[in-house]
Amino acid sequence: MLGRRGTLPVLVGPPLVWLALLFVAPLILIVAFSLRPEAGVVSAGEPWNPSLVQYGKVVGTPAFLRLLGVSALMALGVAVVATMLAYPVAYFLAFRARARATLFLALLLVPFAASYLLRIMAWKLLLGPAGAVNSLLSAAGLIGEPLDLLLYSRGAVVITLIYVWIPFASLPILASLQRIERSQLEAAADLGAGPWTRFLRVTLPLSLPGALAAFFMVFIPTVGEYVTPTLIGGTGGIMYGNLIQDFFGRAGNWPLGAALAMVMLILTVIGVLVALRAVDLRRVAP
Amino acid sequence: MPARHRIRTLFALSAATILLLAACKGAEPQNLLVLEWSGYEAEDFWTDFKSDNADAPVTFEFGISDADILAKMEAGSQADLFHFYSGWQQFYVDGGLVQEIDTSKLTNWDKVPDSFKEQGQVNGKQYFLPWDWGFTSILYNTDEVAEVTSWDALFNVDYAGHVSMWNDGPAAVTVSAYVNGWDETGITADQLAQIEQAWIAQKPLNAFYWSGEYEDLCPAVEDGTVWVAYAWQGCYAQALYDGIPVAYATPSEGRNSWIGFYGISSKTDSYELALKFLDAKLADLTMNNVVTQFYYGAANQDVMNAIEDEVLIEAFGINDPTILEHTNFTPPVTAEQRSAWTEMWARVQAE
Repeated sequence: MLGRRGTLPVLVGPPLVWLALLFVAPLILIVAFSLRPEAGVVSAGEPWNPSLVQYGKVVGTPAFLRLLGVSALMALGVAVVATMLAYPVAYFLAFRARARATLFLALLLVPFAASYLLRIMAWKLLLGPAGAVNSLLSAAGLIGEPLDLLLYSRGAVVITLIYVWIPFASLPILASLQRIERSQLEAAADLGAGPWTRFLRVTLPLSLPGALAAFFMVFIPTVGEYVTPTLIGGTGGIMYGNLIQDFFGRAGNWPLGAALAMVMLILTVIGVLVALRAVDLRRVAP
Repeated sequence: MPARHRIRTLFALSAATILLLAACKGAEPQNLLVLEWSGYEAEDFWTDFKSDNADAPVTFEFGISDADILAKMEAGSQADLFHFYSGWQQFYVDGGLVQEIDTSKLTNWDKVPDSFKEQGQVNGKQYFLPWDWGFTSILYNTDEVAEVTSWDALFNVDYAGHVSMWNDGPAAVTVSAYVNGWDETGITADQLAQIEQAWIAQKPLNAFYWSGEYEDLCPAVEDGTVWVAYAWQGCYAQALYDGIPVAYATPSEGRNSWIGFYGISSKTDSYELALKFLDAKLADLTMNNVVTQFYYGAANQDVMNAIEDEVLIEAFGINDPTILEHTNFTPPVTAEQRSAWTEMWARVQAE
């Protein structure tokens, strides 16, 4: 048997090594790339003369910063709506599904069995000029010509991302709802609180940590999203992540791509810290 | 067996083993790694090599653009061969990434027209093997768009929402250079700023910027989303086969033409096998597959001469003897120019 001293390294060691190799080391590389003054690719053995030239390009290009702002706003919208829509799903699973909760949870996760790309392509078919939505509207006599704005627009990206994230977002909310002691709800009922009051004064505050976790779980990766905008965003739905992907891929300019990525990372972390400070969980969830 | 014989046998075996090991050490590895574009790994596009060298495994790694392929080679890719397109030859030679091709060992080399061979030469040496080729021009839906006679059709507001430009900065500069009558190898900073503004103004006209010809562009041309597009002739042929009312413009400024090349890495240990691979890439069956499956031109002129399909004859302009007079070949530009042009395009996308 391992003692207390032995247990900690065994438990924490493997994930720490994993993180160091696959998260910290690549992050250090990205930082190193971003400090290279030359455009182009980074080859092993090249001399490294740190410079802030690439950061100057990012900060000195208003279009880049504007797009980062737009992407952050899109991510905010997606995260808020996905969390709001995920909450009732999680509530149903936690309090109403009873014995069938496991079945419904499995059904909720069924979409993950299909590849992300396939699901996005399905949305492309749904929203396209000859897709289900346009056909339905046309058959109902509501439109004469197919609506172009359903596809290749910022709205299409937001709608699709919300759909993609709802099942993910419901999981942390479900976990927090399941932790609520039923006795607390019974005590509230005994004290005369109706269903709405019980929800607003007991359930909601106690589940807020889960809702906030869901929000950030959606918001953070959505800021840097590039697959969905590439497939269905069109020229109007391009996000900041597309620029990063372009510089690392098509354009072959890793230093500028790395600087764009670092600026996004730094500003997102600052944003998240400010938000966490503004929403004091200890106050809202006693 | 007497002890003396056993010692002799042991010596003989040891000597044979040493000789075998020495021979193995000197022999080339019998496998190849090719840095390719997605789609070309299909066996149809190296079928002659596969038939003749069944015991030589070929694996592929992929690039998504010419810049990406150059990047991977510069970053130390282990690829024995790499595939790229016009305008990037000099970078590989200057970077010491490629070695000369011994064309005397290529049995199919005589099938390649001299004009293509010359495109693969740098400093008088045959560093690159021309393989596929094609045009770039305006593909348009004839039901929706009047005859296109200029590249400026991409900027026509009448087609707002139904235009599609390739997602590529250097391509955007090339189009602007054609429209404005500028030399694309000598674009000034002021001209680049004008080009940027023109493409920012053009951006809302696009349904989307396409990245994959057959993945993004062709389906959108066929379902009526895109009426006017910067396109290669492959998508034109595909649309013709599918009965879509399309035409492929011969703009007054001229079409653009491109050639795909293979190079042998300067670091390869499999030079002879790489030569066999290149030779087989030029063989009739492999080249015919490129023509009939991707609708790209073949560097093997025998294959091109044998084309009888009406759609392919139209797509390659085979019946138009003046086609090359209306064609601009992609010129080489400097790394600094490419970098400036891709950064310009990123700003256009971000607006």
